Amino acid sequence: MSKDNANSPAVVLKEVSKHFGSKKAVDQISFSIPQGSVTAILGPNGAGKTTAISMMLGLMDPKCGSVEVLGRSPKDLKVRRKIGAMLQEVSVMDQLKAREIINLIRGYYPHPMSMEEIMALTGLTPEDLNKMAVKMSGGQKRKLGFALALAGNPELLFFDEPTVGLDTSARRLFWKTVRSLAALGKTILFTTHYLQEADDIADRIILFKDGRVAADGSPAEIKNKLTTRSVSFVAEQDTQHITARLNQVPGVTGVHLEDGRMYISADNTDQVLAVIFREELPVRDVATDTGSLDEAFEQLTQVTEEAV
Amino acid sequence: MNGALIRLQCKMELLRIVRNPYFIFWSLVMPIAFYFIFTRVVNTGSPDADAWQGHYLMSMTTFSVMGSAIMSLGIRLVQERTLGWAVFMRITPLPGSIYFFGKMFGQALLHLLSIIVIFTAGYLINGVQLEAWQWILSGLWIMIASAPFLALATLIGAMKRVETASGVSNGIYLVLALLGGMWMPLDIMPPFLQAIGRWTPSHHFTSGGWDIAAGNLPELRSVLILTGYLVLFMLLSTYVRKKQQAV
Repeated sequence: MSKDNANSPAVVLKEVSKHFGSKKAVDQISFSIPQGSVTAILGPNGAGKTTAISMMLGLMDPKCGSVEVLGRSPKDLKVRRKIGAMLQEVSVMDQLKAREIINLIRGYYPHPMSMEEIMALTGLTPEDLNKMAVKMSGGQKRKLGFALALAGNPELLFFDEPTVGLDTSARRLFWKTVRSLAALGKTILFTTHYLQEADDIADRIILFKDGRVAADGSPAEIKNKLTTRSVSFVAEQDTQHITARLNQVPGVTGVHLEDGRMYISADNTDQVLAVIFREELPVRDVATDTGSLDEAFEQLTQVTEEAV
Repeated sequence: MNGALIRLQCKMELLRIVRNPYFIFWSLVMPIAFYFIFTRVVNTGSPDADAWQGHYLMSMTTFSVMGSAIMSLGIRLVQERTLGWAVFMRITPLPGSIYFFGKMFGQALLHLLSIIVIFTAGYLINGVQLEAWQWILSGLWIMIASAPFLALATLIGAMKRVETASGVSNGIYLVLALLGGMWMPLDIMPPFLQAIGRWTPSHHFTSGGWDIAAGNLPELRSVLILTGYLVLFMLLSTYVRKKQQAV
């Protein structure tokens, strides 16, 4: 461990873009991941999460912008000795047993994790380890992929959609292990399209949409941003005047009439209420509502899938 | 650290090769069976039986080595890519050069094993007698002159699917063996096939062996043509890979 990167960020992306033909997979993304943090890249399929991870791993070059991992290029051997990754596609080698593959990968690193520790963390049994890797079941292969990510005892771990194809109990075991790895001070970055997973595990969520960062913050902040709030009331007269006035309030995103009530969607409903009462607008029966979080996230997901 | 890495990588490559049943069949059983048939069962009408037995031993050894070069290396490369292994290797700290060295080392040992087993079979089946220098030099020739076929294998290794690679490499392998005169002498083929055959890398690979078995050195022409093919396949393979990576 060199002194120069002891306190520097684990990952820094600066205005990174990547195109495939005319499609912008990743568009002008910037963020920095501090060491020791657990970050989720959350977004629907096709939002550019895997492309972003591939660039952080040095598997793809950005078209423009810069990617730094542990203060260096992700392709630097010194960096690769300190990172581990589980990719979406599980990779195995034919004609070798699981144990042989794990030991081969362990041999590539200067300070590998012990086989006992790998077994304890992944839940791989001695019988699993004696199997030919290509003959393992989907769930076992996932565990093997996890074991290979851990083999070098890395400081920084990348997991791309780690729980896809896992059953509930395997999922729970995986996240429990990730928490214990985080407790050891490892930096963890994972992608997911489940809001629940990101909320439960991460201390920060970077929300991707259409190749851009749509939001970046703590799970509470992201949830706050995703939920739509509104003020509703019954207008007693002159709805046009009220609509015009409230549309001028900063943060108001929409006004609509439904079943005789007017609904004002806004980032900050307090401000809307203040205007209503201060200016004594002719309204009655005022209420505030908070939309469902899942609904909001689902909506975001659907819109993007249609666009692909 | 590199010494240990190289040893580990070579050991694993070797394990994978030895555990592959296709290797044993295609590279050892087939050529030895052919050798037995065409020197003991079928009367080829060759005037000098001793010379023919030495000559055909070279044909079959080069046939075997060419096969394992094209088939096992090429198909394994495609397999590693389709299994996602090649991508995973790029995020580990294993230098690409050691990965490549491990592959070539495994392949070289495979060729050496083929040579030893088939030469021994020749001795046991027909009591083939060559001078010590002929055994050694022909063995060396087969090891070194197999390089163009390894380069050809890396070209096959650039293919997308295992099925395609396996079909294509099988085809190339059989055509090269036939046109190169490894199975039967070129002289008995139609003239236009002979003309093509004399320009194939397989012909020059095997005829170098024949020359040594006959007490001569391989012709300069063979060395030059094989070198030409080596350069050609390497350039093609590099070009194809560059093109594939330019995403």
